[in-house]
Amino acid sequence: MSTPGVATEPLSLLGITVRRASVSGRFFLVYGTGMSIFLGVVLAITPGGAFSTSFPVLLPIFAAVGSMGGLVVFSNDRIKGVLECLMAYGISPRRLFTNALAASLVLASVVLVGSIGVGVGVDLAAGHPLTRNLALFLTVYSIPMSYVSAAFAATIGMYWTALSSPRAGMNSPIGLAPFFGILPPVTTLVLFAALGIAGDVSDGFFLAVAAAVAGGVAVIVGLLLGLIGRLLRRERLLSPA
Amino acid sequence: MLDCRSVSAGYLGTEVLHEVSFRVGEPAIYVVLGPNGAGKTTLFRTLSGILRPTHGEVRIQGTAVDGDGTRGSLHYLSHLDGIPDGLNVREALEFYARVEGAGAADVERILDRLELRALADRYFSELSSGQRRRVAIGRIFLREREIYLLDEPTSNLDPKAAREIRALILELSREKVVLYSSHNLFEAREIGRYVLLLRDGRLALFDRIENLRSARYVVGIRLLEPASGFSDAARQGEYYLMELSGPEEVPRLLHDLDARRVKVREVREMDNPLEDLFA
Repeated sequence: MSTPGVATEPLSLLGITVRRASVSGRFFLVYGTGMSIFLGVVLAITPGGAFSTSFPVLLPIFAAVGSMGGLVVFSNDRIKGVLECLMAYGISPRRLFTNALAASLVLASVVLVGSIGVGVGVDLAAGHPLTRNLALFLTVYSIPMSYVSAAFAATIGMYWTALSSPRAGMNSPIGLAPFFGILPPVTTLVLFAALGIAGDVSDGFFLAVAAAVAGGVAVIVGLLLGLIGRLLRRERLLSPA
Repeated sequence: MLDCRSVSAGYLGTEVLHEVSFRVGEPAIYVVLGPNGAGKTTLFRTLSGILRPTHGEVRIQGTAVDGDGTRGSLHYLSHLDGIPDGLNVREALEFYARVEGAGAADVERILDRLELRALADRYFSELSSGQRRRVAIGRIFLREREIYLLDEPTSNLDPKAAREIRALILELSREKVVLYSSHNLFEAREIGRYVLLLRDGRLALFDRIENLRSARYVVGIRLLEPASGFSDAARQGEYYLMELSGPEEVPRLLHDLDARRVKVREVREMDNPLEDLFA
């Protein structure tokens, strides 16, 4: 917070958006970070190596939930006429969209850094070695899937916000977006379970299923980003007159 | 300077503005009037480049307004405050300073000029509606522009704050073009030099306000002390009403009253010609 009378250089637009996203979406951020850390600590102190098998799989769910701040900012800005003012200053709908998306990904990073740092730290402190398998799952599955899930929730939520009338509560895009966010990791688990019954249940098979789901979701997000100019016409971002 | 050429615009295929044409260049306040739904906000959004015309074009200083807005040429104050939440007043101004390429020193200047320094560290959501409006108006003073589009800038302000904001805008209009929408016809008459009247999305009138005449020209005379000859005159509050043929008759009326030794405290026009535009 600035001190009265002391001039400081303003943050970048993205920097301010991230700051606002962390304030406006603090409930989601605290919940996502707190729950993933809690889960990590419980699994780490549980005997039997539960941390290395369960934590990487569940982490993307909490990262997606914790990243909702970007969508909250976008939705509030539309209702309060901020998007309208920014467009008058020459900022394109695409930049408004990607700015909020980037803020969501930054918040997902906060969840990842916090929970992986604490979770792995406690796991090591509990006497469990950092295995190659855990490192592989975290880097190849947890982190990419977390970003894909966060991007999916933010993109679907922002499209929904722009294409629908403003509304509040659980029936709003913000209320429902977390469910979209957890869809990719849950789909991975369901597919893995369903396909695994029939045959191969190796780690490689799991990662292949995850890559297919993440790739598919990434393509959807990429398509939606590419179609912003066509689907999100400028009047879609205006506040109600 | 601002040239609106046969512009039609609207939302998602529904046309709200129909073939609106006008040109403004003289620094002044151009009051944009019209009933609700007449297209005032749509006009401002189109002039500012937020909405793209479906027909015609808007040119500013000879250059067509492109789809990416008109940064550098104009300020647009929405009918909403347009201030991001999750920020305090100083941060909200810094946010727009960053967008506009203004500096931290400009933010400090606005905090003083709009008397916002005492509120600088308070969150926007904690402010009254009048205080919020002042912050929103502060945004348009961060950087100087040639054209200002102000959509109901004094709505929700108490009389003192509204008067202060009007004074700021009047000062601005000495060198800048200000398009100013309002539902307050007395305010419009007080500060406006020109009027643009929108009706059903069409420009129904564009003229100097001083050229407008009420259907009846009635002046009110407020006396300093009771005088004879006024007992039968119609009254409105403390004003005795007299209907004249036009403002050119006022000097003669004053001369007659002076000849009758009537001590006059005030003579004012009782009808606002802008009201007739809504008749």
